[in-house]
Amino acid sequence: MAINKSRPKKPSKLSVYLYIPNIIGYVRVLMNVYAFAICFSNKQLFCILYFISFGNKIGCFYFGFSFVCDGIDGWAARKFNQVSTFGAVLDMITDRISTACLLVILSQVYRPGLTFVSLLALDIGSHWLQMYSTFLLGKASHKDVKDSTSWLFRAYYGNRMFMAYCCVACEVLYISLYLLAEKPTEHLMDVLMSLTKEISPFSILVGLSLFGWAIKQVVNVIQMKTAADICVLHDINKKERP
Amino acid sequence: MAINKSRPKKPSKLSVYLYIPNIIVSTFGAVLDMITDRISTACLLVILSQVYRPGLTFVSLVALDIGSHWLQMYSTFLLGKASHKDVKDSTSWLFRAYYGNRMFMAYCCVACEVLYISLYLLAEKPTEHLMDVLLSLTKEISPFSILVGLSLFGWAIKQVVNVIQMKTAADICVLHDINKKESP
Repeated sequence: MAINKSRPKKPSKLSVYLYIPNIIGYVRVLMNVYAFAICFSNKQLFCILYFISFGNKIGCFYFGFSFVCDGIDGWAARKFNQVSTFGAVLDMITDRISTACLLVILSQVYRPGLTFVSLLALDIGSHWLQMYSTFLLGKASHKDVKDSTSWLFRAYYGNRMFMAYCCVACEVLYISLYLLAEKPTEHLMDVLMSLTKEISPFSILVGLSLFGWAIKQVVNVIQMKTAADICVLHDINKKERP
Repeated sequence: MAINKSRPKKPSKLSVYLYIPNIIVSTFGAVLDMITDRISTACLLVILSQVYRPGLTFVSLVALDIGSHWLQMYSTFLLGKASHKDVKDSTSWLFRAYYGNRMFMAYCCVACEVLYISLYLLAEKPTEHLMDVLLSLTKEISPFSILVGLSLFGWAIKQVVNVIQMKTAADICVLHDINKKESP
């Protein structure tokens, strides 16, 4: 009896959950959970853990991957031939939730209270719309958008180092603001002003981060408009062919 | 010269943005609806996390809300279903009860928001301890405390469903890959 070996066995669901890059993903989730659990009692450790989890992405910048910025787990996925949709989604969700939680913590500390609430709203809104429009277009990743006329958009997505700088700047700014807060409630402008009074390496770092952060927020807003247009055009084109 | 009137004009982008019932009729309307829900719930939870201690309670609820809805949306797209509310193929009895019965689902969703708003109204000091506030409601039974009690029940069910949804949606992502390998 000939045994049919030409068709590879289907992986089981459990085996996909246990892919190495997905396990890296679970470690990132646990690291974030622990980091936020101790974020009030041990600020330094929280910042270290947060950055290790985020550094998952910085690793890809260091190694110079040219396509989807997806960090150590993405690298592992390709190396071990264990790319999975679930892994990509897990990665995306971990990023969204960790940034969101950091913004919530910052909104508890800094006044006016609505500053970081607005940033959270912008983060959620822009990424949600981006993902929706990516699906409608069937593009591999929202980072592959090439067809926008905005020069800032093209500069941002065309140049991976620039994009990396803006993303990293955002997180550096948020973590710095968290480290800077000494009282349970701080006024944001006071804290920023105090940095300008004495120029230190740290205040230069925050200044550079502020610039990259600003660019990223502007890109987020442009992205929302572009993504909304894609949704609308999707309907218009659907009407074209009934 | 015969004018071709048989093909309706394509609506311009602006006219789609200005549809009056721009809720579900267009893709953009549906997305706008979803995003408004997500952001308003998230912002309310942020406000609550500023007021109530322990500080991580409402942070965790934000995380669960974002995580479960994100996974749901992703899996809905992979399945090509019209809406994640159309899921019929889960074996969990709670899942079927929740999605099979629109009134029950409505009760749970409304209960969630009622609970959050109630907690916001209840807070008198800039910082409140959550358990203290909840216990003070049980001391004197009023129509308001009964309302909060009923909301708490619906809210709990919704959070459990959120967690189950995450597992179901994750399974869909995994099965999508497995089936893709099947048919190269």
